[in-house]
Order: sequence, then C-alpha cells, then structure tokens
Amino acid sequence: MRLFKNGKIASEASPELIEADVLVSDEGGILEVGPSLKEGDAEVADCTGCVLVPGMFDLHVRGREPGYEHKETLRTCAEAALHGGITGLVLMPDTSPPIDSGNQLKSIQDRIAELGSIEMLQAGCLTKAREGRELAGYSGLAALGVPMLTDSDKAIDCPDLLRRCMEYARDFDLLVTSHCETPALAKAGVVNEGRLSYRLGLPGVPTISQEIAIERDLALARHTGVRLHLQQISTGMSLDAVRLSKRAGVRVSCEVSPHHLIFSEEDVTDYDTAFKIQPPLQKKGDVEALLAGLLDDTIDVLASGHSPHTAFEKSADFGSAPWGASALETSVLAIYDRFIATGRFNWDLLIRKYSSAPRHLVGLDPITIESGRRANFFVFDLEAETAINREYFRSKCPVTPFSGQTLKGAIREALV
Amino acid sequence: MSELKPRKDLLDIESLELDEIEYVLGNAVPFKQLFQRSVKKVPTLRGKTVLNLFYEPSTRTSSSFEVAANRMSADVTNFSVSSSSITKGESLLDTIETLQAMQSDYIVIRHQAAGVPNIVAKHTGASVINAGDGYHAHPTQALLDTMTFREVHPDYAGKRIAIIGDVLHSRVARSTSTLFHKQGIEVGVLGPGALIPEGRPDFMRRFQSWEDVFDWKPHAIYLLRVQMERQEGQFFPSIAEYHKMYGMNSERLVSMRKLGAYLMHPGPVNRGVEVTDEAMGYEKSLISTQVENGIAVRMAVLHWLKPETQKE
Repeated sequence: MRLFKNGKIASEASPELIEADVLVSDEGGILEVGPSLKEGDAEVADCTGCVLVPGMFDLHVRGREPGYEHKETLRTCAEAALHGGITGLVLMPDTSPPIDSGNQLKSIQDRIAELGSIEMLQAGCLTKAREGRELAGYSGLAALGVPMLTDSDKAIDCPDLLRRCMEYARDFDLLVTSHCETPALAKAGVVNEGRLSYRLGLPGVPTISQEIAIERDLALARHTGVRLHLQQISTGMSLDAVRLSKRAGVRVSCEVSPHHLIFSEEDVTDYDTAFKIQPPLQKKGDVEALLAGLLDDTIDVLASGHSPHTAFEKSADFGSAPWGASALETSVLAIYDRFIATGRFNWDLLIRKYSSAPRHLVGLDPITIESGRRANFFVFDLEAETAINREYFRSKCPVTPFSGQTLKGAIREALV
Repeated sequence: MSELKPRKDLLDIESLELDEIEYVLGNAVPFKQLFQRSVKKVPTLRGKTVLNLFYEPSTRTSSSFEVAANRMSADVTNFSVSSSSITKGESLLDTIETLQAMQSDYIVIRHQAAGVPNIVAKHTGASVINAGDGYHAHPTQALLDTMTFREVHPDYAGKRIAIIGDVLHSRVARSTSTLFHKQGIEVGVLGPGALIPEGRPDFMRRFQSWEDVFDWKPHAIYLLRVQMERQEGQFFPSIAEYHKMYGMNSERLVSMRKLGAYLMHPGPVNRGVEVTDEAMGYEKSLISTQVENGIAVRMAVLHWLKPETQKE
C-alpha cells in the first residue's frame, strides 16, 4: 500500500483544489481518500506542495509501430506518455503498414496487451492505406472497438469519397476525424504563408488551406449527420466556422495542441525544424483566438499531436525535414507553465480538455480520484522546475520547440 | 570608423549592420580599380582555400566567385552537385562532415533549399557565403546591385527603384530590396498579382501598371528573371502575356529613356520575355556593370569575412 500524503486533489468538478490524502492498494486500487489518513503500514509518499491530477488522455499520438520503430516504439511511447502525466491515448494509424483493416488492428491490439502498460487505443484508417481512394474495412475495425477513423495527416481530397466515408461510418456510430488541409492549396508549403514565408524564403501554406477544408468537412458532417472531430485547429477563422456549426447542431468537436496555444510564427527563427509542426504555426492573433476558443468551449479537446522523428531526421533543412515534434512529455508541463501558473485557467479546465472530454469522445468514462476507483493520476510538484533537454525525454524523439527552456512544475510520477 | 565586429558568415542581408555594408562596398572600389591593371591579383588570401559548392546549376555566379577568389590568390575548388545525384538518403550533415575534412577556409554555397547555408555555417568553422538559397537570400547579388546603383547615383538616399516581375520566387528581390531599403532607397514593385506576395515588407510599395511606375519617376528599373516553368502551378497565363504586361518593350523603353532611368537585371536575361532585343541595347543599361561589380564585391566579401578555421 502507498499513502499519498499532504497533497491536494484536482478535479474537473471545481477549480478549487481539495486537501486530501490518497491510499492506494498494491493492486492499484484507491482504498480511501480523505483528510489526514492514518499511514498504518503504508509506504508514505509526501506530496507537500503537490497536486494529484487525474491521468490525461491524448487523442492524437503517433506511436510509429509498426514500421518506424527507429522513431518511436509502443514501449517508448508509453513510457514517454507516463513521464508526461498521460495515462491513456489514441494511436494514429499512419504506420507501415497502415491500420486499415480488422486484421491490422488486431495485431496492434495484441501488441498493446502484451506490453500491458497504459491505456492505448489504436485508431483505424478512413481509406485503404490512407491513399484517399477506397474506404477502409470499417466493419472489421468497428467489431474490434476502433475508437476513431482517421487518415492521420492526410486530408481526403475528394469530397465525394469523404461523404461516402461519413455515410458508411455513421451506421457504425464511428467518430470520423479530419486533418484540416486542402492539399491543392497547401502544396509544398512548410510555414504559414505571409510575412514568415516571405522572410524565410520558404513555400507557405495559406490559412485558406485549413479554412476551406474545415468549411467543407463541416458541410459534409451536417449533411451526413456523422460525428466529426477536427484535428489540430490553428486559425481564428476556423474556430468561427466551428462555433457556427456547433450552434446549428452539427455533431462536431475539435482539438488544439499545446504547441499551437503557445507558439506563433514569430517563434520560427533561424530555420529551427523543431518548429516545423503540423499545421504550421500561425500569427499571434490566431494563437490568442485559440486560447479564447478553448475557454469558451468551442475547442473541446487538448491533444498533443505527438509526432516523433529522430534528431537526425529533423536535422535536415527546414523544407525537407519531416513535420512534427515530441509532445507527450511537454504538454502538461507547458500548459501548467504558461496557463495554470499564470492564472489564465485552472486545473479543472485542463482535466476537462485533456482527460474527460477526449475520453468521452472515444466512449470512455472520466477519471476521478475517489475510493473504489483505480489509481489513475499523476503527482505534480508545483514548486519544482523541469529543464527540457535531451536527457529529459523518454521518447526516442528529443526534438521539441521547448528545447532549452525550463518549465515550472515537475511530474514526479504517474500511476495507472 | 569604429572597429567592425568580426563576422564569420554572410548568410543574408537582414542581419547586416550599416557599417559592415559600408566596409564591403568601400573595399569593392579599389578591388574594381585593380581590374584595369595588367596584374589583376592581390596576395590577400594566398594559402587560403575557397570551396565553391553549387547544388544548383549556375555558371554565372559560380564563375564570378571563382574569378574573385583567384584574384585574391586563394586556391579554389569547384564542387558542383547536379541535382539528379542528390538522393533523399544523402543528408546535409554527412555532406558537412565531408566538407570539414576538406579544410576549406571559405565555403561558397548555393542550394535550392532555403536555410541550408545557415545549417552549414552552424556546423563549420569555415566562413560560409550564401550564393543563393531557395527563395531566401542572395546577399552578394544585393551588394553588387547596391554598388552598381551607387556608382551612377552617388547621392543615392531618397532615390527610387522599381522592381518588376516575380518577387514571390526571387531571393534577389528579397535581398536587393532589403539592402536598398537599408540605404534609404525607396522600393516599388510591379508584377502579376500571384507573384507579389502579401507578406512582403511594408516598405515595398506595389504598383498596378507601368503607367504608375513611370509616374513614380524611378531612378532605376530592375527587371527580375522570369522562371519559365514552375512546378507548383501557374501564376500568369503565358510567357507572351507576361511580356505584354510586364516586359521592357519599345514603348516602355521610350518612357524609361525620357525619365533617364537606369536598367538593371540580375541575369541571365530571357530575351523577348523580360526585355526586347532593342531594350538590351539601352544606353543606360547597367547589366554588364552588375557582372563586373559582382567580382569586386565578392572579393571584398572574401576579404571581410573571418573564418574560424585556423589561428593566424
């Protein structure tokens, strides 16, 4: 038994933290929660100055297995997640081979079970091999409980095909997710089109690439009645479109990453490829609009978009380097450092956006720290600091826009 | 003049200080005078090596750097990598390691990807000179353009230059306009809508037509080279239409002559596209002066930069 003593408990129910001790059995069940619990023969973890926070759930993670084990494996992904306070996640199906059938899904589920680590749900493809030509095998995927359908970072170019995907998925009540991009507009762009693309001389992605894709996908969702989830929203105009659709009763949810809430295009300096993340970082005004959208519930979910690559792969020139950065281990810390510690919002919002809402989207119950429940929380030390450097990472990918920064707080441990 | 901070690399124009610009342009003058002598060499860089690393074909720029380095008495190695031989698996870091082994003091690099010279500069002690990277920068072109403009307009501040053509895909337009702006020279642009980026700096005023350009009374007209083919789509209907709308034809030649404006072009010229044959013979064309000044400016740049390769 372990007794987490002198800490404060965070919950979705209230912005106030509650002072209480938590007694956890050897099997990982919460035996008792309350003030000044007797330690008895329990091993005591002194949590003075710490907050116990329900485990986070990340809807947008690349585990890279199978096919890209040099970038990440399910094991390193799980270790990184726990290290970052994330106890459950959804894996994107952009592996090699891609997860586009029941058979593929089964083999990953077996691998996850064998690993026996955190809660990992494998998403399935919308189209075969993510090629945007034919529907993937939804019935096989649905029978095995696939949490969502997505072609990951590939947008479905043909609106007719996406319509058929939605109509077919609707009958299985599957969540359809969309990578909001218009390939014919994004082309070879690697940064936001405008001042930044001009200054760096790099091909730009115009914001209309995302905005047109979102308008189209919202129209299709309204037409088909499917549950639609929009990945990684990044502009104020996109948010306006979502806001209107929600008001009109379209079944849509959307996510934003901590990276996009924190960094703007102005942070892209000296061709640092750690800032080459999908979608490209936007203007400061958009970043502010994203925070407002998170606070007014237009944005439902925080999702890291963890996209690991090796440091070597990211050492290429900005145009050629692959998109993405390590995010599992910096998301909670960064949100605390930038928003909670500064009083912009409280733990309850983080728990709602990064735990219960994403869990709800994939049909999972929320996590609470209560007796009778499994222990699924992390211990967050408010008074410590975390230096973000190569040594910090459990992920195979140490490339992060936070590199060299020291973030407030530290995740002491996570239980699951 | 106060002491200059030693600079290792020349990667762009943005980061240059005014005194550095003056230093380079000032030194380019005596280097140019040298060209009139029978012996055109100075011993400044004897024993030093210059590596010309060109990932994009460019006879003109690479020759200009080669001549400049030779006239400084440096040893020059030309290393041109045809684009077909660059395979995906070949990494930039591996290439840099190879370069390190060659012990060059100066690396002149042209690459189709923006930012590559920055990466090379970070990983080598050699002085890196950006000879053009993607659409990003071409600083020695900007320096030679400014030198050329200042020769004909010694009281250059407040003068005006109109840049015509594809600004979006032009590292020349980016670097040259930035340097002109730093010198207090006003910059205007004219070109097809899709090729004049919205993200351009505020100092770059946009014209809708040649009439507007001439009304502005520019002191020089700088024609950009038109790239005949672009993989990422079409930006204007045809070359013929480009010539009709934006080319320097006989009618515009008359207006330019009336103004007494000079004509500039970074080369190589597409005759019949940016310029008609007739306009090529314009008495106030600075195109060949630009080439000559290119050598002088590049000598001055080699003279200015301080490699960290070996201690004196």
